[in-house]
Amino acid sequence: MFRAMIQKEFLLVFRDKHALLALFVMPAIFILIMSVAMKDQFSTNSIEFKVFVKDSDNTNVSKKILKNIEEDKKFQIVSNTQDAEFFIKIPQKFEEEIESKISLSVQGAIKNNQITAFKAILLEDILHAKLDTMAEHFKNQSAQAEKALQNLKISSDAIFSTKYNSSIHIPNATQQSVPAWIVFGMFFVIIPMSTIYVNERKQNTLARLHSMNVSIVSMSISKAIPYMVINQIQVVIMLGVGKYIVPLFDTPALLINGSLIALGAISIALSSTAIGISSLIAVSAKSSEQATTIGGILNILLGAIGGVMVPKFIMPEAMQKLTELSPMSWGLDGFLDIFLLSADLSMILSKVTLLLSFGVGSLIISMLILDYRIKKGI
Amino acid sequence: MIDIQNITKSYGSKKALDNLSLTIQEGSIFGLLGVNGAGKTTLLSILNGLVKQDSGEIRISGLDTQTSMQEINKISSIIPQHLAFYDELSVGENLDFFAKVQDAKQDDYTKAIEVNSLKSLLTQRASTLSGGQKRRLNIAIGLVNNPKIIYFDEPTVGIDPKSRNEILDSIKEYRESGITVVYTSHYMNEIEKICDEVAILSHGKLLVQDSLENLISNRNSDTINVEVFHSSKLIMLGLTLLSETIIQTKESQLVAVLKQCKEHNIAIKQIQYGATDLEKYFLDITGDCDV
Repeated sequence: MFRAMIQKEFLLVFRDKHALLALFVMPAIFILIMSVAMKDQFSTNSIEFKVFVKDSDNTNVSKKILKNIEEDKKFQIVSNTQDAEFFIKIPQKFEEEIESKISLSVQGAIKNNQITAFKAILLEDILHAKLDTMAEHFKNQSAQAEKALQNLKISSDAIFSTKYNSSIHIPNATQQSVPAWIVFGMFFVIIPMSTIYVNERKQNTLARLHSMNVSIVSMSISKAIPYMVINQIQVVIMLGVGKYIVPLFDTPALLINGSLIALGAISIALSSTAIGISSLIAVSAKSSEQATTIGGILNILLGAIGGVMVPKFIMPEAMQKLTELSPMSWGLDGFLDIFLLSADLSMILSKVTLLLSFGVGSLIISMLILDYRIKKGI
Repeated sequence: MIDIQNITKSYGSKKALDNLSLTIQEGSIFGLLGVNGAGKTTLLSILNGLVKQDSGEIRISGLDTQTSMQEINKISSIIPQHLAFYDELSVGENLDFFAKVQDAKQDDYTKAIEVNSLKSLLTQRASTLSGGQKRRLNIAIGLVNNPKIIYFDEPTVGIDPKSRNEILDSIKEYRESGITVVYTSHYMNEIEKICDEVAILSHGKLLVQDSLENLISNRNSDTINVEVFHSSKLIMLGLTLLSETIIQTKESQLVAVLKQCKEHNIAIKQIQYGATDLEKYFLDITGDCDV
């Protein structure tokens, strides 16, 4: 009997084309689009300013500045002014006149902090050029002076030893997108599950099954298992997209550093929560339209609060605390711990327990409501 | 036999069933009538174990519903008013599913398909069936466990007369194979056509339980039912029709009716004098038109 119930559920889901699109295609596309679109935003070493340089001085110093800019990976030289974000003009007599200034024209909507960063990088290149020129000048006069000048050529990386706070781990675009949209996609079982469930309830199919000695517990569990399997298939597909498809678009591949057992545990725990919420909506909604609407809105809200749409680490502190209210956030944090911190099961056990408790609790409440509704015939 | 003794069921302050007692004979077709809210659905729900009565006792084939519902469910089946199956599955898949859920025997499964003429539709998606075919599937699902008792909850709602007659004919066949049928419907002519005995409920109480024959005959009525052989012309004559083949008239108009039938070559099968119809009786006894 139980096997027949599970088979039936699989048949119903796999015949629902819209459900399949929502469960498998939509999150995969989201992962691809968001990973590619946000790769620069998430990158910590890919600042690249488009610059157009006009050298009106044409001296040793100006040529060295130009060379340094060309060689600096943070700059991309463009051939016409329209494509440039910054227009650098080295004036005549720049080398000669100490008060002569390089003119810098900012084109387009560039943020102040970007301009500041640009100036700092450019300053380094200009200083190095000037130091090179001075070193050449001293080359034949004083080896010590030349060496001293060359020693001044140090970059900010050499001066500052940068350490990142160990509690903040910033993912790259793929590491953020893959778990975020896995979590979001898993919760999309709400729509097919609640639609099928509500139709069964409204058409008295559940009551009919109940009169055939199928218990409420059997009905609920036989629904939960197929969707849990579907959720795990989703996870595997989405990880595959992150690992093998995303890199085809010049975007970092997903690296799974943590334990696969932990990955399985967080997937199952998150799935139980998604299924629990779906069941609650299904047994409470008056119609499948209502279930779909409530399910869709709830999914988006939980996603927005839970750091799926906007990464948690760029949220203000108050918002970061708010994310703790969303089960999606618990699941997302678990995935990120595995991808970024190489977490094993013990490290994510609290999140797994929380998600499982939430899921099982919701499922039990939904069973009680379903029992009540069948007995009332509503 | 279904023996219902003094059952009461309340939802909050509203009594859905009020000290109801009924006896349904084995192998009979029992009509359950009542206006909306009379308690028919509650009674069917209790008989199927979906709802428990507050007090009273029900024994079905000697088994107590309070203690042996699982055994009772194995020998009974409900055909709900709603089409309680899966539109996205084929006819065969639906039948397979419900057969497996009930651990049905292959012979009973095959018989349910044959009785309901579904063999040619097994691979067809349920959503693409006609109204009548869907009703037949709904009934077939209830038959796959070869029940001894079948509860029909308004099984002919929204279908064409041909399909309705087919369903009613098949229900009559169940009686011949010893199955007890409890039948609820708002169509009085259906009850008249198939039922042996009828109970009328109102506000959760039993108003009357008697054989159909007793209810619709021997009453002071000048109503005459003229049953004819099927003719497509009948509907064009502007006569009062009780069904496709029964004309209802008064004694004073009988000659005119018979003359009309002769003129249109409609053959008379039988004439029933002093008859009333169940609907009239039902309205008299319930004093309510909401049927």
